[in-house]
Amino acid sequence: MRYALRRFGLFALTLWAAVTLNFALPRMMPGDPADAAVARLAQNGPVDEATRAAVEAQLGIPDGNLIEQYLTYLGQVVRLDFGVSYTFYPQPVAELVGDALPYTLILVGAVTVLAFCLGTLLGVLAAWRRGSWLDALPTVSGSFINTFPYFWTALLLLFFLGYGLHWFPTSGAFSPTAWPEWSLTFIGDALYHAILPAVTMLVTSLGGWIIGMRNAMINTLGEDYVTFAEANGLRGRTVALRYAARNAILPNLTGFGLALGGVVGGSILVEQVFQYPGIGYLLFNSVIGQDYPLMQALFLMITVSVLVANLIVDLLYGVLDPRTRR
Amino acid sequence: MATWQWARTSRTRTQRLGARTDRRRPTGLAACAVAVALVLAGCSGDGPGGSGGGGEGDATLMLAADKGSPTFEENFNPYLQNKRSATSYIYEPLIMVNPLDAEQVPWLAESWEQPDPATIEMTLREGVTWTDGEPLTTEDIAFTFELIQEYPALDTRGAWNRIESVETTDTMITFHLQGDDTPALPVIGQTLIVPEHIWAEQDAPDTWANTEPVGTGPFTLGNFTPQQYTMDRNPDYWGEVAIDQIVLPSATEQLDIVNGNFDWGYSFMSDVENTWVGADENNTYWFPPGGVLGLLPNHDVQPFDDVHVRRGIALALDKGRIAEVASEGYMDAASQTGLLLPNHEELLAEDIPDSGIIAQDADAAIAAFEQAGFTHDGSTMRTPDGQPFTFAITTPNGYTDWLRAVQEIQRQLAEIGIEVDINSPQAAAYEANLSSGDYEMAFGGGLGGGDPYASYNSLLSSEFYAPNGETTQNNRIRYQSQEADDLLVAYRSAVEEAEQERIIGELQHLMFDELPGIAVYHGGMWGLFNDGRFTGWPSAEDPYASPQTWDSAPLLILTRLEPVQ
Repeated sequence: MRYALRRFGLFALTLWAAVTLNFALPRMMPGDPADAAVARLAQNGPVDEATRAAVEAQLGIPDGNLIEQYLTYLGQVVRLDFGVSYTFYPQPVAELVGDALPYTLILVGAVTVLAFCLGTLLGVLAAWRRGSWLDALPTVSGSFINTFPYFWTALLLLFFLGYGLHWFPTSGAFSPTAWPEWSLTFIGDALYHAILPAVTMLVTSLGGWIIGMRNAMINTLGEDYVTFAEANGLRGRTVALRYAARNAILPNLTGFGLALGGVVGGSILVEQVFQYPGIGYLLFNSVIGQDYPLMQALFLMITVSVLVANLIVDLLYGVLDPRTRR
Repeated sequence: MATWQWARTSRTRTQRLGARTDRRRPTGLAACAVAVALVLAGCSGDGPGGSGGGGEGDATLMLAADKGSPTFEENFNPYLQNKRSATSYIYEPLIMVNPLDAEQVPWLAESWEQPDPATIEMTLREGVTWTDGEPLTTEDIAFTFELIQEYPALDTRGAWNRIESVETTDTMITFHLQGDDTPALPVIGQTLIVPEHIWAEQDAPDTWANTEPVGTGPFTLGNFTPQQYTMDRNPDYWGEVAIDQIVLPSATEQLDIVNGNFDWGYSFMSDVENTWVGADENNTYWFPPGGVLGLLPNHDVQPFDDVHVRRGIALALDKGRIAEVASEGYMDAASQTGLLLPNHEELLAEDIPDSGIIAQDADAAIAAFEQAGFTHDGSTMRTPDGQPFTFAITTPNGYTDWLRAVQEIQRQLAEIGIEVDINSPQAAAYEANLSSGDYEMAFGGGLGGGDPYASYNSLLSSEFYAPNGETTQNNRIRYQSQEADDLLVAYRSAVEEAEQERIIGELQHLMFDELPGIAVYHGGMWGLFNDGRFTGWPSAEDPYASPQTWDSAPLLILTRLEPVQ
């Protein structure tokens, strides 16, 4: 119990620090949101004083001193009120995030869970049959593919499967004429559009899970209690899964927790390449446009989910590994 | 300032399936969105064929004018900066101004005159109706101006910085200006007019997304989805329009444009002959100059307050070479007069040599620096106090064409012993640096544009002067000259065209002699057209409109195009 309380205290402290940083960082960027908006407009011709004044009035750029802004901001955070986006004015931030979140959660979330399960199983298998082709193939190819940058894999798949063969759509989360709704047609369309980005992320992240699990498993297999279980004549599968893998999975589980926390952040590169309307793309746009309200909401969401994922992993660890409770 | 060409490295993405394509797994593009008779009813976006749009008797124009990020938000409020591009095809101005040369075309105002330099009288066009059937009256004009006065956030051109009051009769609108101000005409005339009977009921017109827009323009909003929307012909349009429908997809990166079967796009294209022209036998392009790019010295930073130093820099540059390197050869060297050539040829002062294009001449450059007290020892240019002369040029990060220009300038100045550093802050920081005078020399636009007077005024007028550390949006080069101010003020009282041209001529001489900024090359307008389905595009032979797809200017083109039978 004391362990849990300590974790919660730490969580609260980190959360406050994150919220505060979240307030400070965008404001340290050179240029203000009106400058960013004017820079965008200036691509189409010179911008004069009046236009800039109109832009500033539209955005309602916050003035007043920083302390006041900070207190207002804390109040808004508590109320989960993030105001109106600058780059997508007059869209409320909450709506933008709400529109983008499902795509990212489903795409990145499903891929992360799938990659973790598949990778861990393959890792167990590789360790159990170490030295055989079952070990060599996933381990070597996994570590090789794992070094590919996401966007590069994405571009390759896009070029060959999207462009070359026309098997898959090359951008967007659904067809140009579709309207997002809960219908089988739309879901099918959306899944079809998600295949390429999903494969990209699956292929590039699988290797890490395989190797992590395999190495932890090989360590565990050398332990006395495993030898003892084998000597007792237990079945191989029982020893592999119930004795060895159960303990070996702990480090990978930490990684999984963190990865789940990171899901909310989406995958900026993949979403960029595929023009996927998720959180990653939104984040990119908000940073480019110095969109404080949107940036704050997104970063806050990402930090909070990473922190919560951390907390859950910590608490789970306490349950799974009695040694940590000391 | 203007980046007509923000040639970003295009992110690799491919086309959204364009209309009239059945080369790949189709998405039944316009087919579903549009209720065209020949369309498969209930097509779900993955039926076979998908020959969407382009059937007989429906002239559908594929237009790459709007870019989703990556999807579209519904916003058709004509005064908001994030409006959908096609909002400007729904709401119309009183006067159409061609961005290429500032030529004024009567639009909702049938005619106008300036009885004195502080008054504009406009006659409203008769027989114009809103798309809901209500007639357009002078009341709507009066209401529009009241609206943007009440909500300054909507006054994007600053009309109320010029207007004192607005009076209307049944057919006339009279604007009383705050003083002599003939150049206010295009500013006021380009205000988009909205219907009183709809907008008067809005509590917060400054945040209203206006998702069911009612305008006077040639098109009305058709179907809207997050990745594509369509515009339908307004059957009761007061003017001529032969396009039945426009389809605007959200995916309009360079690759989408090349592969999407577009009829009209606006984008810088690397190697346009092989990318765009090579994609379809009917593809053509027209890249007219839209502005003057060059070096913007900060006159409040020494030694840039010295005209000899500025002339030395101008003489040291091979502008044609810089244009070649930066714009892939699409653009030419610009005239130091600040006029766009050939757009403004008839305005050019005849006694300025070589149309005002300053040729490279290293000896003359060194001589000019020596007049400023500099010394050149054969390899290094030294300031009057004996230090090697170095300065920094600021250019926005990510504008690769500008960066190439600055790198070429750096190379050419090194040849006469001047060392240049390059600062490339993010675009927003660049804007902030220029506004607050936190720079020595910058590369950018604003040295000339379609409307010569407006360009001169925002570049040179001390009315906008602010010392370094204080912000200003115009005259960011912090130039102060009594002569320039007198000319700019005199123009405001000039109603006669001859007098206006005389003053523009004087200002050209001032630009040429004083070099407040150093003109280098033209910023381009990147018009991409397809002649296969529609003809009547503007071109070098018939430059009746700018090829741009934003603001009101596209109406000049959309009302001129003819479908190919």
